[in-house]
Amino acid sequence: MKVLIVDDEQPARERLRQLLDDMPGYDVAGDAGNGREAVDLAARLQPDIVLLDIRMPGMDGIEAAQHMNALDAPPAIVFTTAYDEYAIDAFEVRAIGYVLKPVRRSRLEGALEQAARLAASTLAEVAAESGIESRRQHICAKVQDELLLVPIADISYFQADQKYVCVHHDNGEHLIDDSLKSLEKEFGDSFVRIHRGALVAVNRIDRLDRTGDGKTRIVLRDGSHDDAKQLIISRRHVAEVKKRLRAS
Amino acid sequence: MTAATESSDRETQAYLPDFCTAATLFVVVLIAELVAIVLALAAFETIDGFLIDLSKSSFFILWLALLSTALLCRLRGWLESTGKTRAFVLSFLLLLLMCLVVAELAWQLDRIFGRSLIIDDTHAGFIARTFAIAAIVIALTMRYLYVSSEWRRSIVLEAQSRISALQALIRPHFLFNSMNTIASLTRTDPRQAEEAVEDLSDLLRVTLRSSKDRTTLKEEFETTAIYQRIEKLRLGDRLKIRWDVSDLPMRASIPSLTIQPLIENAIYHGIELLPDGGEVLVTGQRNGDDLVISVSNPVAADARRKNDGNKMAMTNIQQRFELAYGSRASVDVEESADTYSVTLRFPMGETAQ
Repeated sequence: MKVLIVDDEQPARERLRQLLDDMPGYDVAGDAGNGREAVDLAARLQPDIVLLDIRMPGMDGIEAAQHMNALDAPPAIVFTTAYDEYAIDAFEVRAIGYVLKPVRRSRLEGALEQAARLAASTLAEVAAESGIESRRQHICAKVQDELLLVPIADISYFQADQKYVCVHHDNGEHLIDDSLKSLEKEFGDSFVRIHRGALVAVNRIDRLDRTGDGKTRIVLRDGSHDDAKQLIISRRHVAEVKKRLRAS
Repeated sequence: MTAATESSDRETQAYLPDFCTAATLFVVVLIAELVAIVLALAAFETIDGFLIDLSKSSFFILWLALLSTALLCRLRGWLESTGKTRAFVLSFLLLLLMCLVVAELAWQLDRIFGRSLIIDDTHAGFIARTFAIAAIVIALTMRYLYVSSEWRRSIVLEAQSRISALQALIRPHFLFNSMNTIASLTRTDPRQAEEAVEDLSDLLRVTLRSSKDRTTLKEEFETTAIYQRIEKLRLGDRLKIRWDVSDLPMRASIPSLTIQPLIENAIYHGIELLPDGGEVLVTGQRNGDDLVISVSNPVAADARRKNDGNKMAMTNIQQRFELAYGSRASVDVEESADTYSVTLRFPMGETAQ
């Protein structure tokens, strides 16, 4: 079994490595110091199990686990934590594997044996209950075998394209698995729906203007509106968009 | 838990006792009866006269006492909301006014029904005597209630601060993470593991001392340095602390464990959530007779964690400062998008040693 160790503290990673070295049948495939690195490594090394610290800078363990779910073969997850009473309650209720630091060998063995893949919905529930905002900081796009993490702040708009949703951001456009509806629910604070198939980041909107045939369209901060077809506001949504712009 | 904390908060903040309870009513009746006895004794001539005097004054004073209690029972909430000094001054004036009104009524009733059988005094004389006696007795009673409420308040405050001092330092997160670090070091670097155990023990020993104890700035900074060493093992280069405190007189006294929890907060809510870590800045100046110490740290822009633990540590420090210095000290928090800083301001006092 290939195991990936994720913890922001070097001694904590070292400790898990020591314990795993003593346990036959488990190989440490690699280790990572934060959530982003962990997601990249998980895509590259394809571990069977990820030992994931919850409290980490940048991207915490629960968000990292959410992104790992986008992999073709998502790893099983075991969370590690020193003390996090709310998260632990949430794990207990859903029988999610976790170990407490200082990590006890027998407890680690038990957790590794029972480690299971976690559904995205389960993770969202855990995030909400542990006092972590369930809003992700990144959107995960799959590019060939790699996972690309797009920071929310870099995104201009999401656009639904038949089966998939395309995220338009500072470094290009990528297809993602999330549905427009779930994105709107999660990021409704900073994105506004302009028609049935598009969500635009409010702080990316420069102004509204009129097309030749009398429709209202969005001009983005970077001046782009040439793919005007996508950024035309449907009549039903004009009032709401204007309201959001005034409020921002 | 929250409800309990709130109600105990309210109890610590209350200056007037709860006049709606039987216990307070009993005390009031007791005081009233004692005053009646004193008055009757002062006018003692014959035993029969004494008993008549006693029953007359008891009758009148008990009325005053019971009405006063009822009045304060109803108005307590409003009085408390006006602030401590005002609450006492207003209660005093209200009660006095009520006594005068009742005295006037008694006089009039006596005229109508008793034909001056009970009150043998002139109108003005009776009112003036009632006024003087009531003013003295009410003032003494108020003073007594004030002192005993202050005394109760300080006991509650101290108990709370002791408990929260323990909770604040032995933050489970810190304790278990340190244990985990030590477990790891026992294999890779036993010598360092040994040092870490010694440091952790020293730190725990400081927390087990009474939180009322003052310590010197020097000792407090040493405790903080021990704490810093333990955290450094865990966080490595991510943690930097810059000390700019050479202006401070190291012998000055400070309630123990006030700087260390501030550093702990700075690490827990700031440094730990920054991928590249950051620098905690501790500065100290002397400002006339006051010392000003401030601790500031960078914060991550996108911290997902709600800060609930932080409030507890801050409340704890505020309580202990209030207990130690009353209103002569202040604890101020300043928050911006990327920095968080806490400033302590307190009068300088040197320890004897």
